[in-house]
Amino acid sequence: MNWKPIIATLCGVLLLVGLVACGGAAEPEEETAAEGQPAANDSTQEDMAAVDGRQGGKLVRLFADPPTLDPHLTTDNISGILVNEIFGGLVSLSLDLEVVPDLAESIDTSADGLTYTFNLRRNAKFHDGSPVTAQDVKWSLERAAAPETQSPVAETYLSDIVGVKDKLDGNATEISGVRVVDDYTVEITIDAPKAYFLAKLTYPTAFILDQDNVGDGGSEWLRNPNGTGPFKLAQYEVGELMRFVRNDNYHREPAYLDEIEFILSGGSSMLMYENDEIHLTGVSLADLDRVLDPNDPLNAELHNIPGGFSVSYLGMNVAEPPFDDPKVRLALNLAIDRESIATNVLENAGTPARGIIPPGFPSYNKNLKTYDFDPERARQLVAESKYGDDLENLPRITLNITGSFGADVPPTIEAITKSWEDELGIQVDILQTEWATFLDDLHDKRFQMFSIGWGADYPDPENFLDILFHSKSDNNQTNYSNPEVDRLLEEARVERDRQKRFETYNRIEQMILDDAPWILLWNSGENYALIKPSVKDYHLTQMTIPKYRYIYFEN
Amino acid sequence: MGIYIGRRLLWTPFLLFMVSFITFALGQFGPGDPVQLLLGQHRDPEVVERIRQQRGLDDPVMVQYVRYISNAVRGDFGESYKYRGRTVAELLWKKIPVSLQLNVAALIISLGLGIPIGLFSALKQGTPWDTSAVAMTLLAQSLPVFLTAPVLLIVFALWLDILPTHGWGGFFDTRIIMPAMVLGIPGVAIVTRLTRASTLDVVHQDYVRTARAKGLSEFVVRTRHVLRNALIPVVTTLGFSLAGLASGSFIVEIFFGIPGVGLLAIESLFARDYPVIMAVVLIGTTLFVLANLIVDLIYPVLDPRIRLGGGYVAG
Amino acid sequence: MALSLRRLVRKKLAMVFLGIIVLMYGAGILASLVTPYDYNAQDLSKAKQSPSWAHPFGTDRLGRDQMTRVIYGLRTTVIITITSLIGGSLVMGVVLGLVSGYMGKLADGIIMRTGEVTSAFPEIFLLLILLATVRPRVVGWVQDFEDATGIDWIIRLGFVDFALVSFALSIFSWFGMARLVRGQVLQVRENQYSEAARAVGASTSRILRVHVFPNIISPVIVSVSAGLAGFAGAELFLSFIGVGIQPPTPSLGRMIYENSSISVLRAEPHLLLFPVITVSVLLFSFNLLGDAVNDAFNPRTR
Repeated sequence: MNWKPIIATLCGVLLLVGLVACGGAAEPEEETAAEGQPAANDSTQEDMAAVDGRQGGKLVRLFADPPTLDPHLTTDNISGILVNEIFGGLVSLSLDLEVVPDLAESIDTSADGLTYTFNLRRNAKFHDGSPVTAQDVKWSLERAAAPETQSPVAETYLSDIVGVKDKLDGNATEISGVRVVDDYTVEITIDAPKAYFLAKLTYPTAFILDQDNVGDGGSEWLRNPNGTGPFKLAQYEVGELMRFVRNDNYHREPAYLDEIEFILSGGSSMLMYENDEIHLTGVSLADLDRVLDPNDPLNAELHNIPGGFSVSYLGMNVAEPPFDDPKVRLALNLAIDRESIATNVLENAGTPARGIIPPGFPSYNKNLKTYDFDPERARQLVAESKYGDDLENLPRITLNITGSFGADVPPTIEAITKSWEDELGIQVDILQTEWATFLDDLHDKRFQMFSIGWGADYPDPENFLDILFHSKSDNNQTNYSNPEVDRLLEEARVERDRQKRFETYNRIEQMILDDAPWILLWNSGENYALIKPSVKDYHLTQMTIPKYRYIYFEN
Repeated sequence: MGIYIGRRLLWTPFLLFMVSFITFALGQFGPGDPVQLLLGQHRDPEVVERIRQQRGLDDPVMVQYVRYISNAVRGDFGESYKYRGRTVAELLWKKIPVSLQLNVAALIISLGLGIPIGLFSALKQGTPWDTSAVAMTLLAQSLPVFLTAPVLLIVFALWLDILPTHGWGGFFDTRIIMPAMVLGIPGVAIVTRLTRASTLDVVHQDYVRTARAKGLSEFVVRTRHVLRNALIPVVTTLGFSLAGLASGSFIVEIFFGIPGVGLLAIESLFARDYPVIMAVVLIGTTLFVLANLIVDLIYPVLDPRIRLGGGYVAG
Repeated sequence: MALSLRRLVRKKLAMVFLGIIVLMYGAGILASLVTPYDYNAQDLSKAKQSPSWAHPFGTDRLGRDQMTRVIYGLRTTVIITITSLIGGSLVMGVVLGLVSGYMGKLADGIIMRTGEVTSAFPEIFLLLILLATVRPRVVGWVQDFEDATGIDWIIRLGFVDFALVSFALSIFSWFGMARLVRGQVLQVRENQYSEAARAVGASTSRILRVHVFPNIISPVIVSVSAGLAGFAGAELFLSFIGVGIQPPTPSLGRMIYENSSISVLRAEPHLLLFPVITVSVLLFSFNLLGDAVNDAFNPRTR
């Protein structure tokens, strides 16, 4: 599930008033982890918190109404952030984005890589104090995959498990691949040894719910969800505010904060921050110069947000002229001075993407041969292409852009089309389409050229390369097809040696870059956030993970 | 007269039917699919098809429409597509009063400033006072929200620091002041113009001349005879403009973080959240039609020169 | 009529603002002649400069001359207001109003009821739906047309967007005018002079021309001048929500949208202020002129 565009919608709205700094991945979720990570020590943590005086306080921030709080229905970032705090699954992501056990205490993998045995924590409890058992795990996974639940993402995240497809199609009442061994042991069998399986289980679709709480349908239970996360939902007024309180029975080290308040009614984030109404805010480009000035009092509160795991690009439909000639595609890539645009227009809120996999992401390869600004070579390539010297022969190019809300043609796009015009003499028309329509046309491969981005769902290169470039993938919108790439992708899916697997992905990435079905644009680069000095350990992470429990106030 | 009212009342449900059906059909035939929107970029035709079927989105449009309307008539507007697990009624019932209150506050500002300025202007007719008063209100009308909202925020919240930047605390809360001003000030010009015109109209009426001739003090003449009669058309004309305002206030709602119906309405449109769109359109249209009907019925009572069913032109 | 015109001319203030409108429209129409730069000439090294002699309105994010873009934005406004006004209010409104008022019965019923439906719609909604759904398809057709004929400027100059925005605005604006014209026609029809004219066998078109038309001209002028400001504002709104004019064609609405934030206003005020002031002056002139026209032509408020 890619949630970036859904966020883009919100960003459009919020950007209106400079609410949040919408970079590649909207929510300023991300940061240099490092400073003072609490040690992972389960039992004594609560006492420690009391001792070092970190416990207490209420964090207030601006947020948006989540489309849902039901983990099994969650498809977007906004919901994901909240759901991650109220609920939990067998595994979750740590601050350094490693898959770590959550409700499970330990995980054993069989020699053939097909069977995972999860040993549940004995102290894992729902908010109401009832224990989390193997039965709950089985029931939850079956609910997520039940056709009545209408989860849009169950197939994506769970269908590696044997029997999930049958359940989704309504041909089975149970998932055959999930077996309750005893009260605290569950065994899950998957259809092939897939290295990324556990990573997928960190997504809310696989979270564990309480059967008694959910009841037999409806959404009444979401008013009072009984989760396993570090926070409990105390109050939710749609469009006004949401309040979380600490779950003192949390099975890992409990949160420090007493309370979190999410303001949902909107407003002007920066202004609210300066008026001391909220504790943190993103910084929009327009405010950046001011807060970057070391003499500005806000400068001390400025935090660097490392880029999210996302890449934005212009996709080219390789089945449509003139993009059926790789030389044209390559030429367009070489005729853009990404560095200059990033510095002058993006003001480094995005960094030029050198490859498909974003920096810091598993299998990222900094030695890729990428597209450097070379207008000379670009002109030569156009001349060598089958459309030849005379630009009259070059078919018209229309770049489709989605606004979703508001006139969202970024200045970068205008700079890029202008530089094609100046360097190559190629004019490209821009056409804005509203998101819902855009999505339809995108999936029907009706676009010749389109602007979009992709953000990681789980930390595995398969999530970029396989999903977007395999010729059989539903998400391959460029019609890109290279039998050799397909073969290598299939090989990498089941390769169990991490090193070898990543090397294969590196090869694949280079091959795709050479074929140039994308105009690479940006990785969401450095963003900035302002955080009140009293707030400590607000980790700005590159993916959505449970993280509010680390935050504390310095007295 | 009776027949006229009867005809109007009969026509109203038909009008509602037309509006709701057109909206419904546009949603169905236009591009964009609510289920695909939930999935975002992830394409999975099987999943889309399965969920569409479960929600009855694959039934013929007429079937869906009838099902929707028969539920809506019973007060059941269904469940939002975007905000899963929330009924439309639940999403709207707290937001509509907020938007209405905001608009009433704005209207009070329009009237509170517009009526005195209009009266003043009429009584000083033809003098530079008149011209500059009218020009001032027209200038206020010409400033886009996109300028006035940020400027007010910077001045009152940041520099003077006397008003909070955002939020909603009901009608009697300081937080309503800025948004109501932004929303209400452009309307001052309309109220001024109406008041001025109807005052001038009244001033030249015989009964005012008679009152003056009787030797009543100028103050009594102005308040009792001129003001009262001049205000009737102003108030009735503006009463119904309220119904149309609710959907237009969304930009103000965004700027000031007000949990009103405007933002929800626009969001639901972009998310193809048909149940919400339909409810907003139906409620909005009903308010509009009712307000129009009431104004049409009240007018002849106030002004006997107007006869119903004939060539009367509203506005 | 002539008297009213003379009354209008005598209002000095109104004439001043009429002059401003003419000036701004003139600048818009002659944009390519009066602007010192190419509206899309980018120079990233000069981005976001404050006003200077070389760039009186400063430069935008891409180092383009803001004054040039504001003037081209006026061109957009000119085209939108004129086409919407002619297409919507004038042609559709007057014709349908005449038909409705003159023919009566069935035609009247259909036209008035249709009008009531369109005006009962929350118009923002329908506008959005229409533009969001119809536009990509229409652009596709026009592209095919361009490819077939070898013409290449229709889309590039933004004509498709102009036409669609105008059309969408027209759908909602005709009814007010139609109702007004219809009302006048009904009044005129029942007046003795047209009955007399009919009695002596005058043709319908003659009655329209001689008796109806002179009587509706005043309210039409009043409503047009009031409506112009509305159209200029509507273009702003449409661009604001992203369905208006496509870049790089400059539009004041888009310039305002992009820069309408507290942050921009504090950091680079010229980005917001110049387009906003331009729009405000134009709207103010329209409003003031409309008011003056109203005074001059409307006997009751004299």
